[in-house]
Amino acid sequence: MRSKRGSAGPARLIGTALVWGAVAADLLLILWILLTSLRGSGDILKHAFGLPTTPKFGNYATAWSDGGFGPAAVNSVVVAVASSALAVALAAPCAYALARRRSRTSSALTMTFAMGLGVPGQVLVVPLFVGLAKANLTDSQLGLTLVYVGLAMPFTVFLLTGFFAGIPAALEEAAVLDGAGALRTFTQVVLPVARGGLITAFLLQFISSWNETLFALVLTHSQDQITLPVALAEFVASAQLNGMDYGTMFAGVCLILAPMIALFSWMGTRIIQGMTVGIGK
Amino acid sequence: MSSTIHDTSRAARSARAARPSSTRRGAGPHERQQRRMFWPFTAPALIVYAVLFLAPVGYALWTSFYKWDGMGAMQWRGLRNYQVLFQDPAFRTSLVNTLEMMFVGGAVTFAISFALTLVLREMRGRLFARSVLFFPCLVNGMVFGIAAGFLFSPSGPVNEALHFFGVTTPPKWLSTDNLLPMVMGTLIWTATGYYTSIIMAAVDQIPEYLYEAAELDGANAWQRFRHVTLPCAWDVISVCAVLWTVSSVKIFELILLFGGSSSAYPPVSSWNTALYVYTEAFPQATVPRMGMATAAAITSLLLVTVVTLVLRRLMRRDPIEY
Repeated sequence: MRSKRGSAGPARLIGTALVWGAVAADLLLILWILLTSLRGSGDILKHAFGLPTTPKFGNYATAWSDGGFGPAAVNSVVVAVASSALAVALAAPCAYALARRRSRTSSALTMTFAMGLGVPGQVLVVPLFVGLAKANLTDSQLGLTLVYVGLAMPFTVFLLTGFFAGIPAALEEAAVLDGAGALRTFTQVVLPVARGGLITAFLLQFISSWNETLFALVLTHSQDQITLPVALAEFVASAQLNGMDYGTMFAGVCLILAPMIALFSWMGTRIIQGMTVGIGK
Repeated sequence: MSSTIHDTSRAARSARAARPSSTRRGAGPHERQQRRMFWPFTAPALIVYAVLFLAPVGYALWTSFYKWDGMGAMQWRGLRNYQVLFQDPAFRTSLVNTLEMMFVGGAVTFAISFALTLVLREMRGRLFARSVLFFPCLVNGMVFGIAAGFLFSPSGPVNEALHFFGVTTPPKWLSTDNLLPMVMGTLIWTATGYYTSIIMAAVDQIPEYLYEAAELDGANAWQRFRHVTLPCAWDVISVCAVLWTVSSVKIFELILLFGGSSSAYPPVSSWNTALYVYTEAFPQATVPRMGMATAAAITSLLLVTVVTLVLRRLMRRDPIEY
């Protein structure tokens, strides 16, 4: 036994080293982006991997005001929070009803929602653009929020259905025997118990809205409506003409990156669980 | 609006229908209540889903049969859009690239994920390693595109490092020909962590005694993976395969900004169908071709559907109880 383990040693050692190498590369890349956002453009071009000699927080000021990243960051927060909250508020009762009622209709509906998981976004982009233009909702945060809510429906319903199915029904039976109505049972008994699942659903939706680029590019264009990914794409495009201001660009990249780092270091396990267990099951 | 009216009437009907049947069966108050709450609870989400998701899919299919610039009158073309599409070299390149990302990218991603599971299962500090490797899937693809554009630029850090090691003529990383492999590499880099995490979540559920038994039988790490991990995690792996199929077709921002290229669209050689849809529907200088764009989008939807069905059939196994 011992000798066998010994012979497997080198392979395992190399494997472990490679894994740690990949981990280190990921961490160093993020660290490099953060450090580069604090350096001057010329400095970056001369030494790509230097430390910021004098941290240039001015990059962030420039990005925030001149680069257009400031208003875009605010828009991103508004759209991501509003769409996630709305998506969870709509999906929760639906998922609960689907999880609890076992009938042909409910399984057909569950299937209908699940089928949406297989539809790539580019199928919806032209119709939604045309539809929102007709409703005068293009280039507006309301329109983008609605689109994100629609896009969120399949996954959020799917995730929450699985979650509600795991809550013992005895709880609600007790509430009903005590004379609580359906709505009251749901809001006062089920929702508090399901808080963890709701938070997870909100977080995952927040993350995907925050990073969503295709619909944001198509549906918004004026400076006071765009979200961060659009601002970044526009900055890169315009920098191509005016010469690249790397410091400012990396400051913009950091504005997109920072909330994800913060969320992940705070609620990492919850995010991983939501994205893996919800799908693995 | 019409769907709202329709739905409330349906809800009312089902509520009316619920009463006699429940008294007949003598169901408890709880079950009766659940039947009554069903439509009011599901209707809002269903309406939003129908209006903002299902109807657009139908509309996309409809538009794909027309010639349309997005503003003027629509002109019936039937299946000819699809015919023109498959004759368009740009679309053919996009489709081939999409397939390449799906199959080659998928194969490499899953091979690396399996290798990682093999190592990660018995490694010290694995939870930390797992979360770091997972993180890239939370980052907008543009960030990696921009970072790669800087790192691999002609006088960039990668070439400088290679120069240091004596490589005088490094490959032209970001030349048009090399763009797709570079995008693929970045994609695989960012996706592996995610799929490893899903597979590892399944592997964690596998009882330890199976591994101990295998070890007592003299199975090495590979054999333990082949005969314990793979069959026990098979369900999850097949779900992952489907998930990859869907998400590989959606890739967009990574290609759009790869190399932080320019204000123009990236070169056709690196497009996938998502980018083709975008450039056809929202071109920079020419007239939009909405029919072609939606036809390309519907083609990618069909692609996903077919591959998913085939995968599900191929990967079906009897469930393993443990």
